[in-house]
Amino acid sequence: MSVANQTDLVDALLIKSEVEDFFSLESELLDERRFDEWLDLLHEDLYYWMPIASNVRFDQPEREYTRGRGEANWFDEGKDILRKRVQQIQGGDHWAEEPRSRTTHLVANVRVASTQGGDIGTKCRFVVYTNRLEHDTELFVGKRVDVLRRENGQLKLVRREIYLDQSVLMSRTLTTFF
Amino acid sequence: MTASNLIDNEAGTLSRDIFSSEEIFGREVKRVIAPAWSYVGHTSQVPNSGDFFASRCGVERVIVTRDPSGAINVLSNSCRHRGMPVCRYDSGNSADFTCSYHGWSYALDGALTGVPKFRELYQGKLEKEKWGLIKARVSIFHGSIWATFDDAVPAFEDYIGEDMLFYLRTLLQGPDGEDDGYEVIGGIVKWQVPCNWKFGAENFAGDHYHGYSHLSVERLSVGTSGKKSRHNFAADKTARQPMFLADPARGHTIRASVYREVPEYTVQEAASDEVNDYYRKAHEEKCRRLGDHARLLIHGGVIFPNTHFNSAGRTTIGVWLPISAARTEVWRWLFVPRNAPAVVKDTLREYYLRYAGPAGLVEQDDMENWTAAQRGTEGLMSSKYPFNYQLAMGLERRARPDEWLGRNVTITENTTEHNQRVFYAHWASRMEQQP
Ligand code: FES
Ligand SMILES: [Fe+2]
Repeated sequence: MSVANQTDLVDALLIKSEVEDFFSLESELLDERRFDEWLDLLHEDLYYWMPIASNVRFDQPEREYTRGRGEANWFDEGKDILRKRVQQIQGGDHWAEEPRSRTTHLVANVRVASTQGGDIGTKCRFVVYTNRLEHDTELFVGKRVDVLRRENGQLKLVRREIYLDQSVLMSRTLTTFF
Repeated sequence: MTASNLIDNEAGTLSRDIFSSEEIFGREVKRVIAPAWSYVGHTSQVPNSGDFFASRCGVERVIVTRDPSGAINVLSNSCRHRGMPVCRYDSGNSADFTCSYHGWSYALDGALTGVPKFRELYQGKLEKEKWGLIKARVSIFHGSIWATFDDAVPAFEDYIGEDMLFYLRTLLQGPDGEDDGYEVIGGIVKWQVPCNWKFGAENFAGDHYHGYSHLSVERLSVGTSGKKSRHNFAADKTARQPMFLADPARGHTIRASVYREVPEYTVQEAASDEVNDYYRKAHEEKCRRLGDHARLLIHGGVIFPNTHFNSAGRTTIGVWLPISAARTEVWRWLFVPRNAPAVVKDTLREYYLRYAGPAGLVEQDDMENWTAAQRGTEGLMSSKYPFNYQLAMGLERRARPDEWLGRNVTITENTTEHNQRVFYAHWASRMEQQP
């Protein structure tokens, strides 16, 4: 955290604490299956993207992840589709989530990377543990790059890039939110 | 145990052991998976000399390359010295492949071109022409690339058969009916499912009975029809007859519909004007090009044994890659019309992403159900109680409403498990053959 003086330092710490609080709340709502309240934290213009990784040569890192808007991705969507995903789970007959998964979302290494206008750019790491039925356990680990936007004093998630550390997905479904 | 003890065609039943037994799995890899033509990719993935991507041909790891002569090669990705993968990347462009162990290098057509210390240590005697990468037989069909390492397998055209060649060609025609009308979008979707590969294959072969699986998504609108349905054709005004076609001599199966007459273009309410304009024009062009055949709507199917495809407005081709009796890796290629404007390609792409694969609102429930079905093959008692494949038994026929639907296929109108029965009957006949 590079800050010029005491006041800036306090401001930066406050923002960081607010961001961490936001992520903790998100995790809590998801893990307590309060999906509608989670949706309320998402900006109407949200861009939610999880590219697919592949194994490329060391000098072509830009090819490691598929491009959003043009190539295959795990997720490349907006709030409208996330809303459908939530509705599907809530119907009670989305078998891939019925009975529902036990999930724990951990967010760590949170850093505020930029602040511009009302937008806060952040970077963090995530660990998502899910357990279903008797033995179905999955572990999703990776990095996130998020943008939070302040609107009417409230922070909303407006952009989420999710970089999962897998190329072949080792799970049969991606029914959890990141 | 012979395959005929596992499958009872008269009764329409089959033993659960074919999904759970590792011993049967070992045999089927040799007798069913290996002696087959398998889809390995599409020419649009390797437009330039030196382009390559990693793929699979059954249980073999392969590299698909375009060499300087313009030819496409499917090479075993295994060094002839000690078996190392000579290509460590999923895709790229390269002049050759150099093994990371002792440094043998191979050209894009598989020829062994470089051997370190060839003169000093091999005394210049190593017969390089005998030690190139193992090359698969390759067939290119309207842009799709097929391969097999089995010399005894009939030529591609005979293996697929005249009827299925027609359906495969139609599958690969763009929305305007032009041959080889598709290209693959970047990124092969790969994931693993803890179930036997045949659960996926039989589902794609002809399971239209499993609407119950997808109730949760039918309430949402995920297609571009604007209707509450997962399918774009939900909005069609022209009546159509669902048909299940199977080639009993080869084991291939198709799910399709035939419209009563050449259909009107159906406006996709949830798509933009630009997208509708494209599809309307393409539809007119297709009707002009194909005439009466424009009545055909392919939903999907299986090229025996493990190549599968889905269509009806969403063209994807994939393979079920057997890992073990209870584990399968799926690779899926997503296609968009080559000559369509970007907005059309993207509309389609988004539809795939929310429909198919592990994040797809539709296929998630398929994978869940196949995984659950796998559990039903595990107990000891389950061996004694076979699965039931009796749905619409005896209703299939060889007489067909339209001659062009195929001379050698059986056709069943309406929902049936006949395609699954054909798939397993052919599986059993392959299992009986000595490898
Ligand atoms: S294993 Fe490839 S050079 Fe030895
Ligand atoms: Fe399905």
